[in-house]
Amino acid sequence: MTEPGERVDSAASFEAEALPHLDAVYRFALRLSGAPDQAEDLVQETFLRAYKSWGQYTRGTAAKSWLFTICRNVFLRARERRQRHNEIVTENVGREGPGVNPVNPIWVSVLGVDPEGDFFESIVDERIMEAIDDLPEEYRTAVVLSDLEGLPYADIAELMEVPVGTVKSRLFRGRRQLQTILYDYAVEMGYIAARAGTDE
Amino acid sequence: MSFLDKLRSLFAGTPEAGGDSAVPAIPCEEALSVVHDFLDGELEGVSHEQVKAHFDACQRCYPHLRLEEHYRQAMRRAGSRQQAPPGLKVKLMELLAEADA
Repeated sequence: MTEPGERVDSAASFEAEALPHLDAVYRFALRLSGAPDQAEDLVQETFLRAYKSWGQYTRGTAAKSWLFTICRNVFLRARERRQRHNEIVTENVGREGPGVNPVNPIWVSVLGVDPEGDFFESIVDERIMEAIDDLPEEYRTAVVLSDLEGLPYADIAELMEVPVGTVKSRLFRGRRQLQTILYDYAVEMGYIAARAGTDE
Repeated sequence: MSFLDKLRSLFAGTPEAGGDSAVPAIPCEEALSVVHDFLDGELEGVSHEQVKAHFDACQRCYPHLRLEEHYRQAMRRAGSRQQAPPGLKVKLMELLAEADA
């Protein structure tokens, strides 16, 4: 049975170790759910579950990854119930997969126009977030955790319950899809000129 | 041969310029295939110095690295500006207090 003194310690340590990750968990929840009100619900459910399980959490380990894990599990279970999306992701497990061209097609598109991809910097935050939301969940989660939150591949693999090779594959494909969406947007907005013959 | 394949064959060589002779050279295709691992600090089987030396020396591959860097800078910028709504922390603290009650 938990004594009152222990409860105060537990609440204090939760506030010190878990709550500083509120913004990061909210960002992740928003990208998963795609709607601010759903993201708030998801964040509350995540922190509530984390708080109730705080006794099982090993202090000093990666609290952020642990919170992301809970958040994703809550989201996925809710999604299963609602069947909100019907996404099928086909992917090759392993490195980037044999036969995948290491030359980024976006680089080919911007060749002679913007070869170093400066156009990415011109795109407003809101459009970048919308483009992330257009990715299938498996790619979206990997890209958000790596590119926005800076988690190591091993942590993402553990969180998504897949091998590191699958994380790399999802990141590779997710980034290429995302860059294509952002490139198309940059052309639409006139940030860069489309390269004749390669941008159909 | 497609335009992409032609480009790929162009990148099948090693850097045109010299670079650091103490670091074993790697071909363009290898450098490009590990560009994400390089930027993520997750290289395996090839050293950071080798990949860096390639991009530093190779005029063909360097723009690829810059493009991926610009993409990441835009992502980090967009991500870092997004914060939880001000009232959410308050709601959360109330919820946790209720859980304790």
